[in-house]
Amino acid sequence: MTTNLILVLVVLTNLKLLGSSRLGASIRMVALQGMVLGLLPVLAHLQNLSVHFVLLSLGTIALKGIVFPWLLFRAVREAEVAREIEPYVGYVASLVAGVLALGVSFGMCARLTMPENIASPWLAPVALFSIFAGLFLIVARKRALNQVLGFLVLENGIYTFGVGIVAETPFLVELGVLLDVFVAVFVMGIAVYHINREFDHIETDRLDRLKG
Amino acid sequence: MNAISFIPLLLALVLSPLLFGVINRTKAFFAGRHGQPLLQLYFDLWKLLRKGAVYSRTTTWIFRAGPVLGLAAALVAAALMPLGNFPALIAFPADFLLFAGLLGLMRFCTVVAALDTGSSFEGMGASREVFFSALAEPALFIALVTLARQAGQLSLSTMFGPLSDAHWLDSGPVLALVIIALMIVLLAENARIPVDDPNTHLELTMIHEVMVLDHSGPDFAFILYSTGLKLWLFAALIVGMVVPPTDSVWLDLLLATGGVFVIAVIVGVIESIMARLRLVVVPQLLVGAGVLAAMAFLLELTLKIHNPS
Amino acid sequence: MRYEAILWLLILVPALTGGLTLQLSSARAVLRALCVGVGITVALGWYVAGEVLMSGPVSAGAEWLYLDALSAYNLAVMLLIYGLCSAYAAVYFGVELREGRLTLRQARQFASLWCGALAAMTLVFISNNLGIMWVGIEATTLLTGFLICVHVTRESLEAMWKYILICSVGVAFAFMGTLLVGASTHGLGLRAPEVLLWTRLHAHAALLNPVWLKAAFVFLLVGYGTKAGLAPMHNWLPDAHSQAPAPVSALFSGFMLNTALYCVMRYVPLVEAGTGNTGWGLRLLIGFGLFSILVAAAFIVFQHDLKRLLAYHSVEHIGIITLGVGLGGLGTFAALFHTLNHSLCKTLAFFAAGRLGQTFGTHDMHRLSGAMRVAPAWGMGLFGSLLALIGVAPFALFMSELQILKAAMDGKAILALVLFLFGAGVVFVGALGHAIPLAWGKAGPVTRPDRVGILESLLVVVPLGLLLGLGLWMPGPMQTALNAAADIIRHTGSALASSSGGAVQ
Repeated sequence: MTTNLILVLVVLTNLKLLGSSRLGASIRMVALQGMVLGLLPVLAHLQNLSVHFVLLSLGTIALKGIVFPWLLFRAVREAEVAREIEPYVGYVASLVAGVLALGVSFGMCARLTMPENIASPWLAPVALFSIFAGLFLIVARKRALNQVLGFLVLENGIYTFGVGIVAETPFLVELGVLLDVFVAVFVMGIAVYHINREFDHIETDRLDRLKG
Repeated sequence: MNAISFIPLLLALVLSPLLFGVINRTKAFFAGRHGQPLLQLYFDLWKLLRKGAVYSRTTTWIFRAGPVLGLAAALVAAALMPLGNFPALIAFPADFLLFAGLLGLMRFCTVVAALDTGSSFEGMGASREVFFSALAEPALFIALVTLARQAGQLSLSTMFGPLSDAHWLDSGPVLALVIIALMIVLLAENARIPVDDPNTHLELTMIHEVMVLDHSGPDFAFILYSTGLKLWLFAALIVGMVVPPTDSVWLDLLLATGGVFVIAVIVGVIESIMARLRLVVVPQLLVGAGVLAAMAFLLELTLKIHNPS
Repeated sequence: MRYEAILWLLILVPALTGGLTLQLSSARAVLRALCVGVGITVALGWYVAGEVLMSGPVSAGAEWLYLDALSAYNLAVMLLIYGLCSAYAAVYFGVELREGRLTLRQARQFASLWCGALAAMTLVFISNNLGIMWVGIEATTLLTGFLICVHVTRESLEAMWKYILICSVGVAFAFMGTLLVGASTHGLGLRAPEVLLWTRLHAHAALLNPVWLKAAFVFLLVGYGTKAGLAPMHNWLPDAHSQAPAPVSALFSGFMLNTALYCVMRYVPLVEAGTGNTGWGLRLLIGFGLFSILVAAAFIVFQHDLKRLLAYHSVEHIGIITLGVGLGGLGTFAALFHTLNHSLCKTLAFFAAGRLGQTFGTHDMHRLSGAMRVAPAWGMGLFGSLLALIGVAPFALFMSELQILKAAMDGKAILALVLFLFGAGVVFVGALGHAIPLAWGKAGPVTRPDRVGILESLLVVVPLGLLLGLGLWMPGPMQTALNAAADIIRHTGSALASSSGGAVQ
């Protein structure tokens, strides 16, 4: 039941991200999503709880709920981004696209046979939906920081899938993955800083000198 | 059609003007005022019914027919809505489609009467009203369909019966999402904040008020009454989902009626703490409601596939 | 026992070298340390690879590290390219140092990231755990991102951003695919640490769940394909390759794309066995390969920047390799052979492009003309490599492409054959149209006279010589090695596999 609640929260945060324009609110939404998902390993494996899952939960919550927002807010401050800009796809259209993506995810996952001890039937569709939503954000938003948020949502979707369905991934791999995501966000933050310093903006649609 | 199915209709007819009184009193409470008497709308209706009506020379029979038709539609819709565990006067499978259609007819009558006056203010209000309703309708339909699927029943009178505590435990998120979507639709369809401000005096910011600007006397009374009835019906729809069935039917009825008034209080609270949204943002809110309803529907579909119970 | 230790050293040495270069206080010392560190790694790697290719797989670390014929071959090729590129980097940046265009900070950044990337790529090859393999690929993406903008300009920043974002998304997809492969082992009763071990999966391949496996392969192909430069996910390639300094471009084209393709190759036998040997996965590979060839051909005709031209050539050749793997049989053998040929050729081409760019001060092909007259050594290098790239006989690339054509005919894939020939033909005409003015056109304005030392001449002669030699004759041990590597991809337990893999004489 709580797993269901978490998954619904995840979908709601995704939808809010799709429909929202303010950067600060978006970063907080992604942080909330990350923290909520951090609870998933513990809840999905309540029967065979082990130190491994608890550590993973704590690590994820710390990383996604505290470290990433801190890095991103720092990047926002450096970039001094104040204005909202029109994205490629308007917010209403993004919301509708989000619902369509949700429908497609449910449809696609209806064809897959799930393992019997899965914590909730909504796990795979919600994971797939997060992946779609993240991709959509990367493609449809112009500001580089919004694209980084889209990447984080994409990773969240993959993480949901991994934790909920593939219970047997080795601990080391999960750690490696978390570390990679951390470094990726770190690297992207630095990249945004450089871009802003060189260009005075972080709108990627104006990065168009290399063509053909 | 037995005697007890008249009770929901009767309660709706008698108590709906009281809703506005409750809303106004709540707003006054938040503002630190004493506020209007609770029965103010009854007095207003009585006063208006005894007055004469003034008709502009540019209007035709449509203008005169609008309020009457609207009231008729509202009354029939009231006959479709159950309350507590009492079935409605008219009940058949898929009657919720007729319900939505009658509400649409009511809106159509108001809009057409407004356009008939030839005034630009009314025209502007009419276009806004229709635009927002077009966005809110899908939310309403999807929410009702989800509800029907959840309960496994196709009639309004039987839809709320099966919803028990077990349902809430199982598919709590789905029902919660439907309720939020319906609440937003209620605010939109009844021209409350954050979609429309019923207290504004500026015609350029009005949506619903400006459409009924030229009605007077009994026509205006009909319109006020049918607006109150519409609010009651939406509130009854939401209450039906929330109030759990108890052992005694009369207790159910009492709880349901109380629930309707609680919703009125909630509307009053929302009106007091929020400001009206900018007109360009309202479509986002309504599409958001539609999206929430669609999400509830999709979640519902998967639930049924996995636990066919 | 000592081989296990060497496997660990293969990762440690580059990592330590990278750390060391951050401490050194002169750019020249940094470059020298780089060469030494890479040299040691190359020697160790070839030693262990030779051992594996002669006597069989080596494993260490409770089977988490594993080197079989396929990974040994790829490791050997990668180390060859890395060695060549490091030598070239010393030359290229030596020129920049002489003119004071390279600061100590940039040199340290370059060297540490270069060594780190080597460590990460080695990790990809020697790991048996598919998850760790993924970690290695993601690490290469992040580490090489900043290699692109060693010199910070607007274009290089744009290229770096596109590269990091697109490849991170692609690699995230690849991780999803890895997870799905893990999910397909449900019911096999594998213990948690073993689920992603390739050797285990290979042993039980026929028992994996086909639906999950198919979904996994789609994600993997799209994900790793983004990193490899398969169309339509190749958009980052031309920008990254053209804006990075020449040694980095050479490395990207010469080896990083192949590393990503190696990851796809690892999954091919699993998918084939799991889906009942219907060739479903192979058809996907053929489709992507052909699409890449055609897209690259279209863009090659309209290029005017030399390094972008070479980048699109990379897309085309990656498409050819993918096509070869998809065709199976002789095609797999040819595809692996082609990885060596393409890597050698592309690195030489980028070496030449880089030095010529330094000589002429630009990469614009309209101004970079008459290279043979102005800079004979590198001009010959460039022209020779361009000829080899478009498949002129008797260079080795011609041989491997011919073998792929034969594989297509053997497998009756007539449409693939026709499309491949069409694409190759367009590339031939287009690139030759660019190459001839490059070599013999009116000599363009030169900003820096060309002084070519022994090392540079060697850097031109050795790859060209190898390409020529391999085209004419393939040594026996190499043929055995290639066959052993190809067998790993082809071996799915069906009669279709293990068909002849001899070289065309």
